[in-house]
Amino acid sequence: MINNNYKYGTYVMRALVYILLFALLILTIIPIWLLIVNATRSTTEIQQGISILPSTHLIENYNLLLSKGLNLSRGFTNSFFLAITSTVVTVYFSLLTAYGMVVYEFAGKKLFSNFIIVLVMIPMQLSIIGFYQYMSKLGLTDNYASLILPLVANAGSVFFGKQYLESMVIHDLIDAGRIDGASELGIFHTIMLPLAVPGAVTMGIFAFVASWNNFFTPFILISSIEKYTLPMLVQTLRGDVYRTEYGAIYLGLALTVVPIIIIYAIFSRYIISGIALGAVKE
Amino acid sequence: MNLAKLKRNSTGYLFLAPFIIGFLIFGLYPVINTLTLSFTDATLMSKSSHFVGLANFKRLFADDVFMRAVGNTWLIWILNFIPQIGIALLLSVLFTSARLKIKAVGVWRAIYFLPNLLMPAAVAALFNALFAYYGPVNQFMVRADFLSEAMRFLESIWVTRGLVVFIQWWTWFGQTMIILMAGMTSIPLPLYEAAMVDGASVWQMFTRITLPLLKPILIFIFVTSLVGGMQMFDIPFLLTDGRGSPLSSIQTNNILMYMKFASSKGHIGAASSVGVLIFFMTSICALGIFYFLRDKDMDVTKPAKKSLFKKNTTRSQS
Repeated sequence: MINNNYKYGTYVMRALVYILLFALLILTIIPIWLLIVNATRSTTEIQQGISILPSTHLIENYNLLLSKGLNLSRGFTNSFFLAITSTVVTVYFSLLTAYGMVVYEFAGKKLFSNFIIVLVMIPMQLSIIGFYQYMSKLGLTDNYASLILPLVANAGSVFFGKQYLESMVIHDLIDAGRIDGASELGIFHTIMLPLAVPGAVTMGIFAFVASWNNFFTPFILISSIEKYTLPMLVQTLRGDVYRTEYGAIYLGLALTVVPIIIIYAIFSRYIISGIALGAVKE
Repeated sequence: MNLAKLKRNSTGYLFLAPFIIGFLIFGLYPVINTLTLSFTDATLMSKSSHFVGLANFKRLFADDVFMRAVGNTWLIWILNFIPQIGIALLLSVLFTSARLKIKAVGVWRAIYFLPNLLMPAAVAALFNALFAYYGPVNQFMVRADFLSEAMRFLESIWVTRGLVVFIQWWTWFGQTMIILMAGMTSIPLPLYEAAMVDGASVWQMFTRITLPLLKPILIFIFVTSLVGGMQMFDIPFLLTDGRGSPLSSIQTNNILMYMKFASSKGHIGAASSVGVLIFFMTSICALGIFYFLRDKDMDVTKPAKKSLFKKNTTRSQS
């Protein structure tokens, strides 16, 4: 009897848990779903009420979106260019630094490790205004260089790179490279980088998403409209020009998040293991 | 140590050189510059500026604008953090439960995490559209007779604050859950087996085994969430008019800093003082958390410190 009660209790609990999970699922998905569905509906349809099924006005909304002078394709090109460059710079220099920390012994190594952790915790509030004034003195405001160059010293990624490399660097391979007469930097490029591809991919996805979604720093630093990135165009979407074109607004917003959803669909395992790896590593 | 080895080890510095140079130019100097600016009356319009001592800081306390921004930021952060950690703890217990054996944990987890990756600017604009006067939420509420007439949601202080809180919760509970789950699965199973033999209840096992062993990770989540929360900008900025309307109820620290920066003269001295003050406030609280929550034996905080990195690489803002 006791055994049966336990079993019965488990079934009831399991049912309640699935109800909870399902409720949270709805809560998570519904804003995104409404966004994508409304992007395919005409303004009239949107005003008539909520629908959870897509409609047929996608092309119409797209033309409407572009007809008001919003240069969406330029925004996309800018955001892509910036995200790709940021990713390459972040991944290369973070792995380079992390490799130096993992493979070599030198005075101050421990200090440097701790220093990286402190840097991760420094909020951008403490630097952004001084950074802006400094960049304007150098004539680098309204220039993507001011968004890309600081990533040479990306403490968070270096920390991830260090955690990752510590688990996979093979010193025998490095020594074999040295016997073959390869330079230290050559060993990093030809032996280490190819082996570190999985870690580099994870690091790269996070760098890409961070750059793609970044609003605050470009908003402060970039002023000419030709250089606006997508998050900055989202802000103009909310302006008066589109006041009543709901379908077009939803489409504009949907287009900024869909690339990320696609990336996530492909790489979700890398992303989730990346979060877990960073958090529990002893 | 032979000469070859010595030479090889000094190359360690060469590998670190780009980072160190990049940090000095783009990391350290801007921080020093911000600190310096906070003691001056510098504006973007004037070439020269003067040292004004603590005048910028005194002015922040002269009226209640600054303290209101600080209050708003704390309120929104606390209201989002409590359900965030609560739901995340509950979900991670359920997902790792040997009794319940929930199916497709990976899929649930992946879906709950999705909002974290979406562009905050777009999410804020989306909620602005959804909760507009002629927006879908009003239509639904009126048609289903929950409301007798459409409501101006974004003119209500508590609805607007509630929306910011909800969006923050929605963005972060998945990530918090993933970190907690990783922590829970690393707790050795025999601990629970022994407790079960001793007749411990589920609740006892949770409070006596799981929570104490998760403490470093909980501290980590707490601190990173606090640091991120104090920098909240995109969502409250883009949900309403960019000034924290209605009645400045969602005007956060960073919105205030931006408003000073973007004012007609560009008061970068005053804007810097906001940033500096918030930094010290956040640091003191974060160090306080480390200090009061750490166990008597020091090494317990080490895993937490080491694991500080993740939340900040994925997003500089939370």
